[in-house]
Amino acid sequence: MNTQDTRDNNRIAQLEERVQRAQDALAAQETFLSNMSHDIRTPMNAIVGMTALAKKHIDEKARVMDALNKIEVASTHLLSLINEVLDISRINSGRLSIGEELFSLGDMLHDILIIIRPQMEGKGHHFTFSVGEVFAEDLHGDPLRLRQIFVNIINNAVKYTPDGGEISVRVSVEPPEEEAGKRAFLLFTCRDNGIGMSEEFLKKLFVPFERDASVAASGIEGTGLGMGIVKSLVEAMSGTIQVESRLGEGTGVTIRVPLRFEEAGSHTGELWGKRLLILEGSREQQDIYRQYLGEAGIAFETAPSMPEALAMLTDAQLHEKSFDGIILGADTGDANCLEIAAYLHKAYPALPLVLASEADWEKIEYRAGRCGIHTFIPVPFFRKSLLRGLDEALSQKSTAGTFGSAPDFSGRHILLAEDNLINREIACEILGSTNAEIDTAEDGKQALDLYLSKPEGYYDLVLMDVQMPVMDGYEATKAIRESGRSDAMPIRIFAMTANTFAEDIARARAAGMNGHIAKPIDISKLMQMLRQIL
Amino acid sequence: MRAYQERYIENIKEIDALRNIFTHAHASFPEWQESRIRARERMRLLKEENLALLFDNLFPALDCLHEAGEEELSSLAEFAEALMDGSTNLDCGIYILIHDALLSLARFHRDVDGTIRELYKLGMGLYYQNRSVIGVENETANSLRFQDEMAFTEAGSYIRFFEEFGNDETKGYIIRSLANIAVSTKNTRKRIATSARVLEIVQDKAYRACAPSLPWDRFLRMTYQQMSSNRHIMSKGDLSKEELSEVLFACQVVFQPEADNDKPNVRWLWPYYEMEYSCGFVDLKTTLLRMEKLISRAKFDEYDPSGLYANVQLPIYYGKLMAENPELQKKPRHVYFLREAYQKMMRTLLTYPVEALNDYLMYYVNLVVTDYLEIEGVASYREVTACLMQRYTGEQYVTSCLVGEAASLICRAIISEDAHFFDDIPFIKECPEEEKEKRLMDYARDCGIYHDFGLLKLNMSRFLWMRTMFEQEERIYQLHTLCASEDLRERPSTAHFADIALGHHRWYNGSGGYPESYERNRSPYRQMTDVIALSDALCGYYEGDIKEAAEKVQKLSHKQFSPMAAASLSDEALLKELEALMQKGPSSIYREIYDSIHGITL
Repeated sequence: MNTQDTRDNNRIAQLEERVQRAQDALAAQETFLSNMSHDIRTPMNAIVGMTALAKKHIDEKARVMDALNKIEVASTHLLSLINEVLDISRINSGRLSIGEELFSLGDMLHDILIIIRPQMEGKGHHFTFSVGEVFAEDLHGDPLRLRQIFVNIINNAVKYTPDGGEISVRVSVEPPEEEAGKRAFLLFTCRDNGIGMSEEFLKKLFVPFERDASVAASGIEGTGLGMGIVKSLVEAMSGTIQVESRLGEGTGVTIRVPLRFEEAGSHTGELWGKRLLILEGSREQQDIYRQYLGEAGIAFETAPSMPEALAMLTDAQLHEKSFDGIILGADTGDANCLEIAAYLHKAYPALPLVLASEADWEKIEYRAGRCGIHTFIPVPFFRKSLLRGLDEALSQKSTAGTFGSAPDFSGRHILLAEDNLINREIACEILGSTNAEIDTAEDGKQALDLYLSKPEGYYDLVLMDVQMPVMDGYEATKAIRESGRSDAMPIRIFAMTANTFAEDIARARAAGMNGHIAKPIDISKLMQMLRQIL
Repeated sequence: MRAYQERYIENIKEIDALRNIFTHAHASFPEWQESRIRARERMRLLKEENLALLFDNLFPALDCLHEAGEEELSSLAEFAEALMDGSTNLDCGIYILIHDALLSLARFHRDVDGTIRELYKLGMGLYYQNRSVIGVENETANSLRFQDEMAFTEAGSYIRFFEEFGNDETKGYIIRSLANIAVSTKNTRKRIATSARVLEIVQDKAYRACAPSLPWDRFLRMTYQQMSSNRHIMSKGDLSKEELSEVLFACQVVFQPEADNDKPNVRWLWPYYEMEYSCGFVDLKTTLLRMEKLISRAKFDEYDPSGLYANVQLPIYYGKLMAENPELQKKPRHVYFLREAYQKMMRTLLTYPVEALNDYLMYYVNLVVTDYLEIEGVASYREVTACLMQRYTGEQYVTSCLVGEAASLICRAIISEDAHFFDDIPFIKECPEEEKEKRLMDYARDCGIYHDFGLLKLNMSRFLWMRTMFEQEERIYQLHTLCASEDLRERPSTAHFADIALGHHRWYNGSGGYPESYERNRSPYRQMTDVIALSDALCGYYEGDIKEAAEKVQKLSHKQFSPMAAASLSDEALLKELEALMQKGPSSIYREIYDSIHGITL
């Protein structure tokens, strides 16, 4: 065979391989489209059917409410499906961007635990979550994308592990590799003893639209997009992902992402010399308290159960060894931590109560407030967040007045710029429940004029729609910031937009906005934000 | 005691007597009816007076507790003791209120002896208040029970500093509080461990020497009795060797004095027999025979603790064994015995003298409501519970009958417009058209009677006549919907009242009311629940003008009440009938109740 023949043969082989790949991709895409049309139709059926049902029984509020609840569930599912497809589309078109903001690792992990706990419990999995050495707890990166990555990996473990399985997640932050390095490494490992993957499928794991045929046939829901998205996101963060798996034995995923970090400070505020009682049954958690509080010079006694805690309090009362506060930990034995808080609050009203828990604060906030909880520290916590929480509680910066769904902002002024009538009405209704005074504008120009027509310092907050006729939100914000008034820079301006892509958020910041609120407006998130700002 | 305190107590006793519709039942109907009408009016006045006594005297006294002198404080303590002495529970809520206030005062003054005493007393009050929710498994019930456990736990935690107290009375409260943790906790292992620890302490010479005036032997006996009460979990197989031996030994200790007694107290004799069965020392047959002997030996009018145990607790336990061993339900001998035992049990409960009414008896009523075995050959659950409601919820039962009567009229009006309105209810749908109206109206009447059935179990109906409820009592009161639905659903004769009992306080659109677990759309009985909720409110709103009451209901249409049911109140003919019913009030249904009381074989 001469050189030309060899070259031709190689070319043919290459072409054949490309054709095969294109055919595979096409087949995968066809399967995907078929799956997608099924996946999209299912919630759409619910939405269409339930809407018709609600219309038919429009006088029966209870039935309409039931239908609306179902529509809400179906819409949320549909939205997440669409988001995945959009992510893939952005990745394929090279428009994926990763944001960078300062975030607390503890808060992010707490959010992840809240999301995944119900699924773990629903399938009866034994879930272990552990934290290794944490070099830095305040990191710079894209917390939403990191959360998306980790939740996706854990969700896969939940889905592909038969009920009652074992799933463990470990997170640590390693120091920079060079002494003067600027990036620490966030290390995330998730292991399960689930169904695992064949060697053959493992090779195609990150190929979009690919799903293991046996898994797809077993009826486990999925689009085959998740791992492709994860890999792209990890790589966009300059990180690495490793997957080990054996069919029938389980899977392990390790992700390593370099992130800029904030140096840990050594200041412990007014806490030095304080004495705390910690009600915590978990030995691991007790060790964590021992480490962090010891370093900060805070004295404490640990009670593994409520009777022990009461014995320590009675001892303190009898022998005048008073405590400065009580931490209710993640494991309070048989008793509900809020019941304990209610009892302690009544018996020892002068002692600030701090709740350190994995619980979803938004769900328990009202009850916790009534039970006397001063401060909430999300678990897992690290040194800084623990001390920050304690500092807040012990210096009596109580948030007790802010409990309840609608805080009272009487006397505060909010400027709302929104061109859509319904959105404007909804926002007004929500904001109105706080007793704040609200002025509305239908476009950016009206908003700017209203702002300029009022005395300086009149508005406490501007909520600005981004896309509006006449003048858009970016321009209006820029004009306010450049107005030269004394309140032009300090005034808080938040974008209200359904567009939460990183680059658009960056654009909003560049225009001078302080942050954004995702649309459709989530009442509890808006309230949370208002509490923080006002 | 102060004059207002004595007056308040007299009023409560009178209300308790007046609530009993069996009083004067041997008189002729007109005389009895007249006495009932007078009783209702008298109770209304007494309730008003009681509230005035509290608002004018007790509450101001508690508001100014920091300024109160010794005499005032001791009068409050004395008042509290008269309201609740451990067996007679006249008004647990006020007892708790007073001791809670005294506890705050003691804490404020850093009076440790006072704090321990008041923690113990508060724990006792909370325990008796929450006793009715024992066995109820939900967040509210757990939260309520937790409070008395914590009060005892805090007082008991001073055991570490026992020697530091000079006052034997305080030491007694510490020991008793520690022992009571075992009574109040729902955690079995903790119960056993606590009792074991108390047994060690009360037998320890050092402790005894430290407080010689305390009744240590009584403490010892009571703790063994408490430990023996854990016998029922022995057969579940999750106790350790040590725990088992503790319980076994306690049963033996409690049994021994009774075994040598000519007239043993069945309450302390039985634990040993039960333990022998749980451990497999004797078989089921022997156990049943032992039980039959003890039940048969007791006369129905033995109302002392031993008699009540033999007449009520043992028949219920006999039924439980038959439920656990279904083959026994096919043996005529056992079915016959159960029927006889249940009949005697009911006779005891229905003839129990009103002046001796106590908390302990209400525990037995609760037991019957919870564990009655409904099988062929014995009186139905429905018959039994109707008698108990008449006897123990008294005039509240009459009010429920009125709600049922009004509901039946509303149902008739609704189906005259829409014959298939109630067709989601299976037995109504299957009913021949010509019988449908009567069947539906009868069902509505019964639903009215059973909608507040849970008040019997929780012993809460007396509060409706006595005074307004405290927040904590309101929380217990609200459990009546859940308790009733569970008990009613389990028995075929009452299962179709369960959803009505569960859902009649939940708002139609689900935005308010209780309990949240009632899902209207899932209940085939929802239309009837809607009608009962509406009828219940209508009876409550009625103050002499049915149109006004109907307007109030209709204003809440779509939200609290079903729009379809509320629309029926626009029917003039129905309003006339309802007006007539309301004007006659309970009188319109007394005849039926009188006959029913006389139909009970005593």
